[in-house]
Amino acid sequence: MAPELRVVGKPLPRVDAYGKVTGKTVYAADFTLPGMLFGKVLRGTEPHARIVRIDARRALTLPGVRAVISAADVADVRYGGALKDETVFAREKVRYVGQPVAAVAAATSEAAEAALAAIDVVYDPLPAVFDVEGALAPGAPLVHEAWETYSAIPILYREGNICNRARILAGDVERGLAEADRVFEHRFTTRMVHQGYTEPRAAVAAWDSAGQVTVWSNTQLPFEVQNTLAEILQLPPSRIRILVPGIGGGFGGKLRVGVEHFAALLARKTGRPVRVITTSEEELTAAYPRQGTIVELKTGVTRDGRLTGKQGRIFFDTGAFAGSGPGVASVATLILAGPYCIPNLHLEGYAVYTNKTNCGSFRAPSGPQANFAVESQMDIIADALGMDPLDLRLRNIVREGDEGPTGQLLTGVGLEECLRRAADAIGWNDRRPGPSRGKGIACGWWTTTGGSSGVYVKINPDGTVALNTGAAEIGTGALTGAAQVLAEQLSVELSDINLVSADTYSTPFDFGAQGSRTAFSVGNACRAAAADLRRQLFALASRQLGVEPDALELRERHVVAGGKRVSLADLSRLSQQSGGGLIAHGTFIAPPTPYDTKRVEAHVYPAFHSPSFHAHAVDLAVDPETGEVTLHRYVVAQDVGFALNPTYVEGQIEGGVAQGVGQALSEEIVYENGRVVNPNLTDYKMPTTLDLPRIESILVQHPSAVGPYGAKGVGEPPNIEPPAAVANAVAAAIGVRITSLPITAEKIVMALRKETP
Amino acid sequence: MRKLPLSLTINGETHELLAEPHHPLLEVLRTQLGLIGTKENCLEGECGVCTVLLDGMAVNSCLLLAAQCQGRRIVTIEGLGGPETLHPLQETFVEHGAVQCGYCIPGMILAAKAYLDQNPEPTEGEIREALSGNLCRCTGYQKILDAVLAAAGVLAPMR
Amino acid sequence: MSFEYHEPPSVSEAVALAARFGSEARFLAGGTDLIVQINRGKLAPRHVVSLHRVPGLDTIAVDGHVTLGALVTHRALERSPHFQGRYRGLVEGAQVVGGHQVRNVGTVGGNIVNASPAADVVPVLLALDAAVTCLGPEGERTLPLEEFLVGPGQTQRRPEELLTTVRFPLLGPNSATAFLKAGRRKAMEISVVCVAARMTLDAGLERCREARIALGAVAPTTLRARAAEHVLEGEVPRAELLRRAGALAARACQPISDVRASSQFRRLLVETLVPRVLARCLERIREEGR
Repeated sequence: MAPELRVVGKPLPRVDAYGKVTGKTVYAADFTLPGMLFGKVLRGTEPHARIVRIDARRALTLPGVRAVISAADVADVRYGGALKDETVFAREKVRYVGQPVAAVAAATSEAAEAALAAIDVVYDPLPAVFDVEGALAPGAPLVHEAWETYSAIPILYREGNICNRARILAGDVERGLAEADRVFEHRFTTRMVHQGYTEPRAAVAAWDSAGQVTVWSNTQLPFEVQNTLAEILQLPPSRIRILVPGIGGGFGGKLRVGVEHFAALLARKTGRPVRVITTSEEELTAAYPRQGTIVELKTGVTRDGRLTGKQGRIFFDTGAFAGSGPGVASVATLILAGPYCIPNLHLEGYAVYTNKTNCGSFRAPSGPQANFAVESQMDIIADALGMDPLDLRLRNIVREGDEGPTGQLLTGVGLEECLRRAADAIGWNDRRPGPSRGKGIACGWWTTTGGSSGVYVKINPDGTVALNTGAAEIGTGALTGAAQVLAEQLSVELSDINLVSADTYSTPFDFGAQGSRTAFSVGNACRAAAADLRRQLFALASRQLGVEPDALELRERHVVAGGKRVSLADLSRLSQQSGGGLIAHGTFIAPPTPYDTKRVEAHVYPAFHSPSFHAHAVDLAVDPETGEVTLHRYVVAQDVGFALNPTYVEGQIEGGVAQGVGQALSEEIVYENGRVVNPNLTDYKMPTTLDLPRIESILVQHPSAVGPYGAKGVGEPPNIEPPAAVANAVAAAIGVRITSLPITAEKIVMALRKETP
Repeated sequence: MRKLPLSLTINGETHELLAEPHHPLLEVLRTQLGLIGTKENCLEGECGVCTVLLDGMAVNSCLLLAAQCQGRRIVTIEGLGGPETLHPLQETFVEHGAVQCGYCIPGMILAAKAYLDQNPEPTEGEIREALSGNLCRCTGYQKILDAVLAAAGVLAPMR
Repeated sequence: MSFEYHEPPSVSEAVALAARFGSEARFLAGGTDLIVQINRGKLAPRHVVSLHRVPGLDTIAVDGHVTLGALVTHRALERSPHFQGRYRGLVEGAQVVGGHQVRNVGTVGGNIVNASPAADVVPVLLALDAAVTCLGPEGERTLPLEEFLVGPGQTQRRPEELLTTVRFPLLGPNSATAFLKAGRRKAMEISVVCVAARMTLDAGLERCREARIALGAVAPTTLRARAAEHVLEGEVPRAELLRRAGALAARACQPISDVRASSQFRRLLVETLVPRVLARCLERIREEGR
């Protein structure tokens, strides 16, 4: 029998809670240095235009202004993820409203602001493309004329404004659709949405006399930012130190270099520390939001509800630069397949350039858009077949030992349990409990992203433990979860763990706070380090206690053997006197997930590691005259593998649902002719306390074979299903199907009027 | 424009300082006084992270000129308690897992305090209403509401 | 963007400062709108005249009339014991303005002077036949609120004048007010449409003696829907008639299409919300009558 768990699985307070409730935690936006200047970015005002002239002479004469830099002042480097198409400043032309054109550093932020207003830029406008259809039309202007010259990972499929087309091809989709009794074709659209972190992106950079730069940044990926800055600054990465203080939320929006490069370049130019913080307007016009999409689905089904084939295309409006687009378009194809067994698939994800802001990653990138389409269509199909939507799903979902869309073997599949428990909890047998009231359900699957993690773990002479990780704590509590794993393994308490994180000089490498991987990977690295420390401890204790190492065990901060015991503190001191202290380097990399390579093309993400499964159910009311939607109850059953800390797992679910409900009902970045018309929090509408019901979490636990104690990634999944669940509930409530996000009151009223003239 | 000499009472302490007439209280707190527990985000009164108490009322310090605050009592999160003496709201926020990234939390706690001081026995619905001017993007608010309800339970017998 | 800051200790000194600086000055009340406008670069006053040391402007007086000082906050309106009954619409309008932080400092006077067509308290005041009093160097003048409002951000106030009070007659028996609003969220919303109504029934609680309907966010200013009011007066306010009033009100407005809603949807909301807000008035009257 497994020993009883003391620390993992317990709802313990997070390790960084006290600093946060007392206002003591220093976030990047709070960080200051003596003599610091304030940097601001001048942003392009045309969606697509040749830059005729940038004249900063007047700006430089203004009081307090120390430097103005633009493309001419920086190395001509293109950087980026899978595709290197970005530049620090617009060179020769601007490609979206909001693209950086120049940056200034001044003694105060007001002086910097004044300097921006004094820089004269002359543009010569060019024809632009504002949406995917425009960008793919024959003869459309190219957002990047020289796209072929850009360096990219070789597997991408690129052509003109298409910066990747990823495919899954399985079975024979023509045959699959021919075998169907009914074939359903639908089109869905979603809008660009912002992560909405409460702390703006911020960085402070300072150079020392040895030509090294230190940047305090609220990035989720310090090591990636280090590498990107190395390219931009033309320096070896070791010359660049990234430190991550507190982060006020990320949700994928703080993965890529945001303002760090401006801070570093301005600091180099002025010889002074420089801070750059974004404004709300910059966030909503020039950050890394979630892509708007168009999804087309053609799905074949037998009379009794068996899915026979699916043809699907999802087009991501990725903006003027690829950003996360090529990868997101790949992941999307796995979501288009759904968590369903469909023998014949032809699924395509396109990332398409337009003259809009550069889109990026937002919690479960591609998940909500593709799932909204897939799960809306499942309900439409169920209605058409006269089936209960839950039954249609149960007939087709993947189960233990099934194959994923690209041939991966699925294990630890808790989907059926999720669906049944969510349906039970919401009271599925009464789907329309009143007039204009309805319940909806949606399910999905997601990955636990791989990438490697390293930790250093040291046992201090007082018996406490230092955990040194390169991962950043972005608020999820993932590092508390990892620390719980470490405490459990070393027989100490969570309060004994001291956390040091995210300093590219001194902490070991970590692939970063992304992809629901932090607790999973860092937790596993902690397990490895603990195993090493146990060997070291037992070797020392064995001599001390005169007992063979294999007779020893760790218990309550001691190494014990029968009645004999020695404390970790004593062993640490002993080691410091005799052997340099107790320290271990633990590492983890998720093992590759085998898949059928013949089924994918130009695919950056062909299989889901340690996949999680989930079902959401919502009960809501619609006012058919005003279109107002009121959520009464929201239930999530999520297969988390194992909940390392149930409180923060629930917290992830509750927060993910809240964000998802925002995308479902109220949030959208609205462009008109290439300009954002709601670049403020007055008109970018994130849910308030009054917009959400209580969110009931059901933690389903079908363990992952790989994750610590069986844990799977939990952070992103709860953000995936809300739009589909809400859309399905709205349809159940009023009999009208809204196929575009957000499902605004206006769309509901207009659709109802069309239905009943 | 010439700076204004101001005398501001913050967390019971009086600070004599010179401030730009157009500077909001937020700017003075964060930049001049190093009270960074009051956070900065939208600067338009839409998000609530800059909430402080002005004569016991919750206000957005981004929209309040420092000059308007002379002679009034200002309380920031730093005035609520330290690690040794936490306010019951701070305790319950920790216990109930109400904190994730934490950036909205100082404002959230102060808005909750202002409300509980006036309404010691609130319902969940009333707390939702009282906190509707504070955006949180991490938690879905649920554990925050739980924490405020729990704090009300702790505070009520102390009155 | 900086300005000179003034803190006059009295109404007369505030007016004197305004007279001296003319259109270069702005009065500062709660600041929840003014400071945003300044930060966004929409306004750039050289002088800001703060009113917070001016005594007497934050009182709610109820005698033959109801008189609200310009500095009465939304929170004060919400919590005033005077407004929980027949004037309930005022509370309903005040309590949906921003969050507590905004309502704690944002004022009635500011709401009126900013002249946003979407202001939430203004339609209720229009429905109450409110008049505003401005004090200038030449003395006081009082004019109906409806006349005072000229366009988005524009009023009859001269730069050297200070809006000091808003006044409306007491409501007699068998009267009630109500307010409703539509927005994309349930809090922190600028109205997509808001409607306020006041109704007075005859002694038998049968016929409508007097009706007022005011609409927000559907025209350059907050708007009275007179044709809708007339169709009610003297009649038995049955559901059918309320719907007709809604249709007439929808015809009276001239909404724009913007990022918040299309003009067509705004019209539909007016058509829906006007009967509802009237029905709410009727319910309240009948409740009071019981």
